[in-house]
Amino acid sequence: MTDVLRTPERRVEGREKVTGTARYAADAAREGMLHAAFAGSPYPHARVLAVDTAAARAVPGVRAVLTGADVRPARFGRRLLDWPVLAWDRVRFIGDRVAAVAADTPEAAERAAALVDVTYEELPAVFDMDAALAPGAPLIHPDAADYRMLGVTRPPVPHPNAQGHQVHEHGDPAAGFAAAARVFEHELALPPVHHAYLEPRAALVWIDGATVHVVTTNKAPFSLRAQLAAVAGVAEDAIVVHTPHVGGDFGGKGLSLDEWPLYFLARVTGRPVRSVLRYADELQISNTRHGARIRLRTGVDRDGRITAHEARVRFDGGAYAAGKPIPFLMPGEAMATLAGYRVPAARVEATCAYTNHLPAGHDRAPGQPQNSFAAESHLDLIARELGVDPLELRERNAIRAGDVDVHGDEWHASEMPRVLAELRRASGWGRPLPPGHGRGVALGARHVGRGKTSLELTLDERGDVVVRSGVTDQGGGALTMIGRVVARELAIAPERVRVEQVDTARSPVDPGVGGSRVTMVHGNAALDGARKLAAARDAGAAPPIRVVGSADQTAHMFGSYAYAVEVELDRETGAFRVVDATLVADVGTVINPVAVRGQLEGGFAFGLGQALMEELAIVGGRVVTASFGEYKIPSIADVPPLRLVLLTDAPGPGPFGAKSVGELANPAVVGAVANAVADAGARVLTLPISAEKVLAALRGGAA
Amino acid sequence: MTERLLRFTVNGEPREVRVADDRRLVDVLRDDLRLTGTKEGCSVGVCGVCGVLVDGALVSACLYPAVFADGASITTIEGIARGGTLAPLQEAFISEGGFQCGICTPGQIVAAAALLAERPRPTDAEIDEWMTGSLCRCTGYAGIRRAIRKAAGG
Repeated sequence: MTDVLRTPERRVEGREKVTGTARYAADAAREGMLHAAFAGSPYPHARVLAVDTAAARAVPGVRAVLTGADVRPARFGRRLLDWPVLAWDRVRFIGDRVAAVAADTPEAAERAAALVDVTYEELPAVFDMDAALAPGAPLIHPDAADYRMLGVTRPPVPHPNAQGHQVHEHGDPAAGFAAAARVFEHELALPPVHHAYLEPRAALVWIDGATVHVVTTNKAPFSLRAQLAAVAGVAEDAIVVHTPHVGGDFGGKGLSLDEWPLYFLARVTGRPVRSVLRYADELQISNTRHGARIRLRTGVDRDGRITAHEARVRFDGGAYAAGKPIPFLMPGEAMATLAGYRVPAARVEATCAYTNHLPAGHDRAPGQPQNSFAAESHLDLIARELGVDPLELRERNAIRAGDVDVHGDEWHASEMPRVLAELRRASGWGRPLPPGHGRGVALGARHVGRGKTSLELTLDERGDVVVRSGVTDQGGGALTMIGRVVARELAIAPERVRVEQVDTARSPVDPGVGGSRVTMVHGNAALDGARKLAAARDAGAAPPIRVVGSADQTAHMFGSYAYAVEVELDRETGAFRVVDATLVADVGTVINPVAVRGQLEGGFAFGLGQALMEELAIVGGRVVTASFGEYKIPSIADVPPLRLVLLTDAPGPGPFGAKSVGELANPAVVGAVANAVADAGARVLTLPISAEKVLAALRGGAA
Repeated sequence: MTERLLRFTVNGEPREVRVADDRRLVDVLRDDLRLTGTKEGCSVGVCGVCGVLVDGALVSACLYPAVFADGASITTIEGIARGGTLAPLQEAFISEGGFQCGICTPGQIVAAAALLAERPRPTDAEIDEWMTGSLCRCTGYAGIRRAIRKAAGG
């Protein structure tokens, strides 16, 4: 039969999704279900002196009102359990929860939550990252020594208001700077932004005998299970997590917010309790992409080749580190300040600060858009100072096989030079532009995902296969990918492989979707399972044949990509629009061609939003962009067509040579747009690149 | 709050519901009639996730008082396919990558159906203008444009 991968895929969940029958967490309901609502702090930092729930309890239909005193000392988090389920002694950001209500209707629950009467004593709040890390800053977590850390010991931090801290050094930076012909230094800043998935978090919790059931929007059900076991003090196998389709994740849905109070409400009422977060709360209390301030210093030789690099990166972690899954309690790519370049010597220091802002967490390539915006703007400024074409400067510094990157790691292979050559050709780089237009370039590199998982595969008498996996569907096409890998390996039609996503009681432990992992990890587990099935079948085993396919993907490899973007700028108003965009991406073997294209087009739009309009504006600790009326994301009219060139012949560690695309190409959009606007006359050093900032820059003011 | 008995059709089927005057159409559809294909996103009429047709006009069910729909003919995502056969628009959303997570898809397809009812062969500019009220965070809209063009026979 012809190669399965040559035919564009048809999503296995496609029919459900286009007919409205696909189920999401907010669609779940149970007999006797109660509805939850929460009371949150109006202060960014305060002591909780007293909580009076009498008026709330008197609302007709209210079945339970819980406060911090009822759940103490329960704190939650993906790694560090630092976020109280309900605050009992201190609130640390506006919206921090102090009480939870369960009632017969959502309206009654909300009315009661508004009547919870809390006496606070305001404490000094700290909103700026550097102020938070200064000696004598108000302490946000005086009890940090008591916090539990899941699985590992918490790394030391240099200041009690530091969530995490990392330092890296390789080569001889001092010698590199001494040898440099020129040294440049720039500082850039980005506000926090939101994932802006269109499905607000939702959860339904009920307790059936000794078993706790959770229906959730959390994209990592086994991780939620482990966290809930820690918070509730119950065994992991007494918890069953069901994740239906997830309505957009981008990293944000790895952190649960409502499941913890819902568990306590379900326990005290004996009823199922559901919560669907209002979008205003999504924007005010959920984990954002970190705001950041980044200072870069780079030495270059006479030809513009990097000799040494130094970086100081500050992230605003907000009130809790609970949203961060990695042990360093930092965004994953906190240190990737010159990703994709040859950096012979570097010293990079990054710190994530606690502040009295809403908590920050993981968002699509965590840490990378921030560092990419800073680095790509910095290199563009260097190119212009040196009088070198910006693409040319990148070609001279692009990482090649045998070079070391900003982390001091040697690359054994690199597609970056080829990506740039292809970008030069496909974008028509150098072609004269009309007046008022500008052109910008930015490149990027993203590791392919790592992790391990197992899947169960069963081959029946007809030669059809059923795969059971704990992987969740957040839209990336995981189920379809798994099916196509199995189908190709067994040389059967994809329709003959049924992939079932099952709850935590019926699946081997799974790491969840995220970190560009699924095609590498789940794909390789599917391939392993298919090979075992084929071997058993060929050895004459009688169906049904049941095997477990496993993968432990540890290969350290990168996908490379680059953008060229053209803008048209109105010098009278500062308004501009992106009129042309080219993306060249090194993606390895393509398993789901429709999904790969969609991830890259979607990543482009995601980055475009951060470049052009997105800002979770916070004034005095209060989010003032608390609806999609104020927090703007791109609409169809904001996104120009993307010219897409795929390099597919450099194999990755995924099945049949696949690489990752989920987080590959969103980070560098911001830098490419900033550089195009600068080419048109306005260098803006902070995001978003608003017309106001462009106009100020055109008039020679600060931007 | 007074209550009223409303009579309307949903996807061609006659329905009767007793609702409070301030009850939103999205709650009547999702909770009272258990038609959960219609989703709720921003709750302020901006994102288009809850889009349904009331007498052929596209409305945001999160803002639309259910009492306004008394006597009307309502179409939701559950009413787009005909007798188990996907509409060309639905087929095109699948083949062209018009969705990923799928949460905005019911609203996108309902909005696109309204567009094609009004302009069977829309230009790209007309697609962009009409669909501006239907936000999507996954696809970058390129797949949605391709799907609508394909369904329109382009």
